Amino acid sequence: MPDSESRDLFPGALELMVLRLLKRQPMHGYALVQRIQQASQNLLQVEEGSLYPALQRLLKERLVEAEWGVSATNRRVRIYRITRAGSKHLGIEISRFERMLEGITLVLAVGGET
Amino acid sequence: MRWLDRLLRRRQLYDDLASEMQSHLEEKTDELIARGLSPAEARAEARRAFGNMTYIQEEGRAVWQWPTLESILMDVRYALRQMRGVPTMASVVVITLAIGIAATTTVFSWTRRVLLDPLPGTGAPERIFALETTTASGSWTPTSWLDYRDFRRYLKSFDGLAAAYPTSLALGDAARSERVWGELVSANFFDVLRVQPALGGLFSSTVEENAGAQPLVVISYELWQRRWHGDSAVVGSVVDINQFPFRVVGVAPRAFHGSMSGEAFDVWVPAAMLGQIVPTGGWWLRDRGTRTFRVLARLRDGVTFAAARAEVESFTAFMASVNGAVSKGMEGRLMPIWQSHWGAQDALREPLVVLLVACGLVLLIVCANAASLLLARATARARELGLRVALGAPRVRLIRQLLTEASLLAISGATLGLLGAAWLSRSLNSLLPSFARPALVAPHVDRSVLVFTALLAITVTVLAGIVPALQGSRAALGEALSSGGRGTAGNRGAARARRALVTLEMALAVVSLVGAGLFFQSFRHTRAVSPGFDAQHVAMASVSVTLAGYDSARAEAFLGNVADRLSREPGVQAASYTDYVPLSLGAGSWEELRVEGYAPAPNENMKLYRAAIGPDYFKVLRVPLIAGREFTLADDSAHAPVMIVNGAFVRHFLGGGAALGVRVHGWGRWFTIVGVVKDTKFYRLSDAPTPYFYVPVRQVYRPEYGYTVLLRTAGAVPQAVRAIEQAVRALDPGIPVFNAMPLESYVDGPLEGQHAAMRLLILLALIASLLAAIGLYGIVSYAVTQRTKEIGVRVALGAQQRDVLQVVAAQMGRLLFLGVAVGLIASIAVARLVGSMLYQVPPADLAVFSFAAFTMIVISILATSVPARRALRIAPVLALREE
Repeated sequence: MPDSESRDLFPGALELMVLRLLKRQPMHGYALVQRIQQASQNLLQVEEGSLYPALQRLLKERLVEAEWGVSATNRRVRIYRITRAGSKHLGIEISRFERMLEGITLVLAVGGET
Repeated sequence: MRWLDRLLRRRQLYDDLASEMQSHLEEKTDELIARGLSPAEARAEARRAFGNMTYIQEEGRAVWQWPTLESILMDVRYALRQMRGVPTMASVVVITLAIGIAATTTVFSWTRRVLLDPLPGTGAPERIFALETTTASGSWTPTSWLDYRDFRRYLKSFDGLAAAYPTSLALGDAARSERVWGELVSANFFDVLRVQPALGGLFSSTVEENAGAQPLVVISYELWQRRWHGDSAVVGSVVDINQFPFRVVGVAPRAFHGSMSGEAFDVWVPAAMLGQIVPTGGWWLRDRGTRTFRVLARLRDGVTFAAARAEVESFTAFMASVNGAVSKGMEGRLMPIWQSHWGAQDALREPLVVLLVACGLVLLIVCANAASLLLARATARARELGLRVALGAPRVRLIRQLLTEASLLAISGATLGLLGAAWLSRSLNSLLPSFARPALVAPHVDRSVLVFTALLAITVTVLAGIVPALQGSRAALGEALSSGGRGTAGNRGAARARRALVTLEMALAVVSLVGAGLFFQSFRHTRAVSPGFDAQHVAMASVSVTLAGYDSARAEAFLGNVADRLSREPGVQAASYTDYVPLSLGAGSWEELRVEGYAPAPNENMKLYRAAIGPDYFKVLRVPLIAGREFTLADDSAHAPVMIVNGAFVRHFLGGGAALGVRVHGWGRWFTIVGVVKDTKFYRLSDAPTPYFYVPVRQVYRPEYGYTVLLRTAGAVPQAVRAIEQAVRALDPGIPVFNAMPLESYVDGPLEGQHAAMRLLILLALIASLLAAIGLYGIVSYAVTQRTKEIGVRVALGAQQRDVLQVVAAQMGRLLFLGVAVGLIASIAVARLVGSMLYQVPPADLAVFSFAAFTMIVISILATSVPARRALRIAPVLALREE
């Protein structure tokens, strides 16, 4: 299992990023992967396929909706769009994530002092 | 209904996912080619970056799956695949489960019909109890009409009390007469039992109980279908019963069969009509000493059984003192219906309980056997299970999988078993002879039987599946850790559990062998008792002269004519008639006697059973005459009353001295003893010799009982049976004939139940032993396989056949010894329990116990011989090469 360290940091992280990107604009799966790698400056090596189960989960929870369309490269693709419930969920999750990060940072800072 | 919608749209969802992923790969490939990679390189790189396609697709689909149902279906599919791999084991388990479940379900359905749900078709039957009377000597007796009226009037604990008297009746006129069973009932009978008519009305409490005033009849659903073909015009029509016209008021519901558990009646007539049905019946309604009725009582709401019982006891004690002349020392007791003396349950209670226990034993063995086979399977699959653990399957998941397999087997077994039970159910009809009493109500497979079977299947799953599932999953953990090592702790545990199961099977098999043996012995002893008369080559047929409305003179003439006509037929050696056929399912009637020169002890019961007979009776039955003569046609009402007594009578009342000429008082007259005959059995073969006496029909005519014509023939008995029927018809076609059969079949009747129960017990014991043998075979066979290498090494080092056999024998010997020992000890306890049902068999019958042990040993040796032979054939080279 290569790059196992650089995959999902915690459960739900991928979904969080997908929602954030879709909030800006609707796009299809391949584009999402590109954007994640770009935006993270390749720090996050997402195994491309693992995006799809995450999208299915979001679809099931009705946080996103999907529609078959045509991409910029003239390909038949499924374009995902965030729903209103998705936006709300994203807000909650981001603030929760920030608080968690804050907590972890504080603890790590304590560890650094010793 | 979102989940339903999804379930239906799922195919679409999966397709979308697949094409979406495909499109992703293509896009990536195109991009890589654009960057300068060769198409092949690009495809490979795109796939690498994407990850495990199949796995991802599965995971994507899993999001939509309804976890429990779908994974259960998956488990089931997997289990079915597993079973297809081992068809022999699967079919052995399913078939043995089917046998066990079929037997248990059958006996349960009968137990329910006879003991648990004795009054189908009634409302709130759980509030209905039997009120029964016992005499001063403690024996049970029916209740008199006047006592019943007093119970009804004074007892406060009940909403209502009903009375019923069962009897056979002639239905219809001479043109179309048939014999049916009916109950003469109190007018409130249907109210108390809360029965709703299927058609028309029923009689109710408002019907006045004026003697003779209410010629009404309610007919059963079956009779309505059979005789009137379901024609609703039957209500209001008139039908003859014992030649008296009755008006049909309604049809009882289909489920209702009367007040006697397990027995089916066809007509119900108000007891007030007794005088029209039975010649002396009017007297029964006025005499407190004539006890003929059963009493059922419906408990008032809010009154406890204990309180009601206390009231009954104190009230009947009061009545016994008030009516001291006829009721001195008598007691009344309230009891659940299943304890009652009326109905089929009195005869079926003990056989059914014994059979139920035996079936339970067999079912336990079946479960142990199935558990043992599943355990072996789990062990054999340890590597596969271990692999699943290594791949991250939680232990609970494995347990669920293994339990699914067990329940699949149990459900298949239960389904087959239900089919078997529907078929077997009729076979238990033979527990009671069908003649001389109302037909049994055969149970059918209904909801509660289905529920019972379903519960059995669940129990079987748990019993047979839980040990293998726990062991198998534990073995899998061990396997996962030791990566394919043999003899892990889990395996050893499984082997231990299997050995324990097989020991249990053998112990239970020994118990069922002992049980069957004890009942077989008991039956053999009963059968071996000579009844004192010779029933071979004797034909019989009963006639209802009373039902045809004959008075005593006509009846006497008729019986004489039949006997006369028959004795002139070719091949007939002697013909006679009687009002009591020995070994009938009732003791007949008695008369209170005074014997000249005999002073009874205080409280001595001087009520002696008797038979009214015709001339040549003893010649027909070949009962030796010790002294004096038989009755002749001259012994009629014009001549002095005469009597014949048996040997026990002479020994008891006359000190064994001369009997001829001694006078005996009964029926208000003095009879002179003119003959002495050897003792015979009257009621049951197991009875001790009892004083008994005979009087001529022409001097003591009791019209309420039917008469039976007996015929000794030199030719074929069935032909003689037909001859009686023809003779009766020739003389008067309006007289119903019943119980036309060889006397031998009739007197075997009381033994029929024992016989049927014994056959079933032997069958169950055989099944039990066979299952134990299968279990043992499995264990030893497995052990031989496991130790092939060890045995091979031993043979290579010069071990003889004897030494190899020792290895196998040691395997079997320990199990056998333990199984038989535990079984014998348990048998002692079981034998104690059934001791009271055995005739002349001590519970610790040495022959039976040693037979059971011996059978088990032989079966074990046979079961072991196959794997033993295989062990002997093990060639050292082959065994070592396996390494």
